[in-house]
Amino acid sequence: MTTDTMIESELDISQLIDKPWITIVWDDPVNLMSYVTFVFIKLFSFSPERAHALMMQVHNEGRAAVSAGSREEMERDVQRLHEYGLWATLQRDEKI
Amino acid sequence: MSAFARDGESYSLDITIDEAHILINLVEQLLELLGEGDFNHRYDEGDPLAQLIAQLKAAPEEVTVPEDPVLLRLLPSAYADPEAASDFRRYTEPTLRGKKKRSLLEVRGAVAILADAGRGGTIADLDAEIWLLAMNDLRLALSVRLEVHPESFEIFESLPESDPQKAIYAVYFWLGWLQESLLGLLTGG
Repeated sequence: MTTDTMIESELDISQLIDKPWITIVWDDPVNLMSYVTFVFIKLFSFSPERAHALMMQVHNEGRAAVSAGSREEMERDVQRLHEYGLWATLQRDEKI
Repeated sequence: MSAFARDGESYSLDITIDEAHILINLVEQLLELLGEGDFNHRYDEGDPLAQLIAQLKAAPEEVTVPEDPVLLRLLPSAYADPEAASDFRRYTEPTLRGKKKRSLLEVRGAVAILADAGRGGTIADLDAEIWLLAMNDLRLALSVRLEVHPESFEIFESLPESDPQKAIYAVYFWLGWLQESLLGLLTGG
């Protein structure tokens, strides 16, 4: 029992260290769909297909997680998305 | 009607004198809102002294959440938590503000040459990405003032010509059309 608990907590810690933060892009009625796709390709080097799918997720579901990583990395991503006029925030990945 | 054109890696924009005036007015209003009030000296990005002055101006004593909804849309909060958002803003907002001002100043400089000459014409060898960013920020700013939503185009079409908002909507949709045309060229579509 003790061992199991320890393994579980170790897994949790490893996940926390791995990718505990995510960047969310929120839908707005202004940014052009083609522009959002362009920005995703430009900033994250996504394939056109992946960028388009994420853009559609933002459009249809109101938000999409576009990147995951350390808090510092996500702050950089949010900053760059703000430079491009996309509405982005970062938060802890709630799935953990 | 104005349009962007692409020749290899060189981008240009044909623009009428009326469009040049509209663009300059919009750009200057947004620059002033962003805290760039001095248009007497044309901005020269290559001039180290001008860069230093721009940085000094862009460093307010206290960085707080903007009260103006346009500024809040252009400089949004990065965190839902107000304290974390405030910390992040303190470190990053001057840089973000500065980048937006530089894009707008670049566009202003290019359009001003035509406006000063009192005629339309071609803006050659423009920086397509700078223009893309500046046009997007102008659209975002107008959208906040117009309270744009997904049905706004229908509202625009139903407004009588005498309604002063009609002209603002027209500029908003014109900028969207221009931006779309530039995106098409950038992505080779």
